[in-house]
Amino acid sequence: MLRGLYTAASGLTTQQRRHEAITNNIANINTPGFKGTNTVSRTFPDMLLSAMGGPEGTVKPIGKLSTGVFAEENLLSLIQGDLQETFRSQDIALFSDILVPGAVFDGSGKFVDENGAITYQPQALFSILTPEGEERYTRNGSFKTASDGTLLTSDGMRVLGVDGQPIRVNISWDNVSVTAGGALVNHATGLPLEGEPQLRIMRVDNPNLLIREGDGRFRYDGDAAGLRQITADDRVEVRQGFLERSNVDTAQAAVDLMSALRAYEANQRVIQFYDRSLDKAANDIGRV
Amino acid sequence: MNSSMITAAVSMNALQQKLDMLADNIANSNTVGYKRKTSVFEDILTTLSPQQQDFSQPGRRTPLGLVQGWGARLSSMQLDLSQGMLQQTGSMTDVAIEGNGLFEVRTDGTLDGAPSFTRHGSFQLVSTGGGDRMLITNSGYPVVAQDGGVDGFIVVPEGYNLTIEADGTLRGIGPTGSTPIELGKLKIMQATKPELLQSISDNLYGVPENVNIADVVTDVTQLPAEELGISVRQGFVENSNVNLTDEMTDLMIVQRAYQLSARALSSSDEMMGMANNLRG
Repeated sequence: MLRGLYTAASGLTTQQRRHEAITNNIANINTPGFKGTNTVSRTFPDMLLSAMGGPEGTVKPIGKLSTGVFAEENLLSLIQGDLQETFRSQDIALFSDILVPGAVFDGSGKFVDENGAITYQPQALFSILTPEGEERYTRNGSFKTASDGTLLTSDGMRVLGVDGQPIRVNISWDNVSVTAGGALVNHATGLPLEGEPQLRIMRVDNPNLLIREGDGRFRYDGDAAGLRQITADDRVEVRQGFLERSNVDTAQAAVDLMSALRAYEANQRVIQFYDRSLDKAANDIGRV
Repeated sequence: MNSSMITAAVSMNALQQKLDMLADNIANSNTVGYKRKTSVFEDILTTLSPQQQDFSQPGRRTPLGLVQGWGARLSSMQLDLSQGMLQQTGSMTDVAIEGNGLFEVRTDGTLDGAPSFTRHGSFQLVSTGGGDRMLITNSGYPVVAQDGGVDGFIVVPEGYNLTIEADGTLRGIGPTGSTPIELGKLKIMQATKPELLQSISDNLYGVPENVNIADVVTDVTQLPAEELGISVRQGFVENSNVNLTDEMTDLMIVQRAYQLSARALSSSDEMMGMANNLRG
């Protein structure tokens, strides 16, 4: 059988996965706090080909061949989205530019030192509580209030405070200011609200360990050491009256979409060529 | 199935909803007391296709599993209760509220009914028989006032003109020489949790049945109006707080997003076509 037939078929599947991820990015270009993904592909493990039956039964190595490609992972790009002013007191955006000593991050938020070790830029996220009582993280700061004053995300998850309890505000949000550090204070007096509520903002050292769960939520899948509350030294700022826009670059997404489509087409063509070769082999060779 | 197609279709649906909302706002850019609606998108339903342990190869940066999203939806529609511009009309039954307050009306015409709230202050006086006139909204719902802490409708006796002071106090002014009569005070409610207010027809807002009214609005009629920053203006109406520039900008953003999603849809259609035509 021709090996390349399956290689091209795996290319089709991979390009389709890429296309799906880009479509999802495009679908969310207006979702606040959305973080785009990039599909990373990997080749199948290499095979060593050998020519058998040489002179005196020797085996001569031909070389290595990999027989396919697969979509390995969808990498989150957690770079900061633009802030858009909404003038709504319950819209809260995070602006995060956390520094790591000795690291100069590139546009995608990573730093590779001279030994090849990679450092990722830590990111800050709001901490929220699911109905099952599990902690999740989000960058979508379009909050609202329940009838008992509990601060909720737009799909109804409770927003946590530094004490690990959901934040409750008993006065009108028109009178609440959120400080750059995330503390809720009275708009007129500048004094902390009853119970001194403060938004719980978590710093994730390696953002690749965040797994998207939908509804703007992320689950952290790493060890506890890589996740902690932000301190005053971290360069994180809370902005009230702003929303963080999606970080998807529309032009790039449109280009990626086309490239995925055309790569798919190329693979399809290769399959057709193989089909023709097989046609020749099956029907023409040996025809009398 | 090509899931790009589903993702694109779902998000086009959500964008269509946003477009409907923007159209509603634009249509009401001249409606007295109209408050614009805002909404946000949210990504939906992410699946994590499991991967076997063999997939954990050097250089991989994320935990095992391929994460896939399925588009966006419109998550919550909210009211933007910010102040609209006041416009002088000269009509003595036009009333506008400056600040965070709402008029209370009764849609069923009785005091026992469920209250509704509005900023639509272009009121009218209609005869109730015997020369007395009652203050109603332009949709015909009586406006509620408080007299000595008791709710009641506003009835102006024959021969008297209605005046409304900045704190909402209602007086009937009779012919020259007669003493003005006290008619109570306009009931002003303050929305403490505006996102729980429900838009109902005729520019009114109601409170959903399962929610306690006191959790959403508080009665501020008897509180000092100046401290709350609320004042009532007779002879003015409040224009819609829709800013056409903002709405048009949003419209363009939505339209472009729709176009891009449509592009993704047609390119996934092309892909399916290619798969179908593999055998030429």
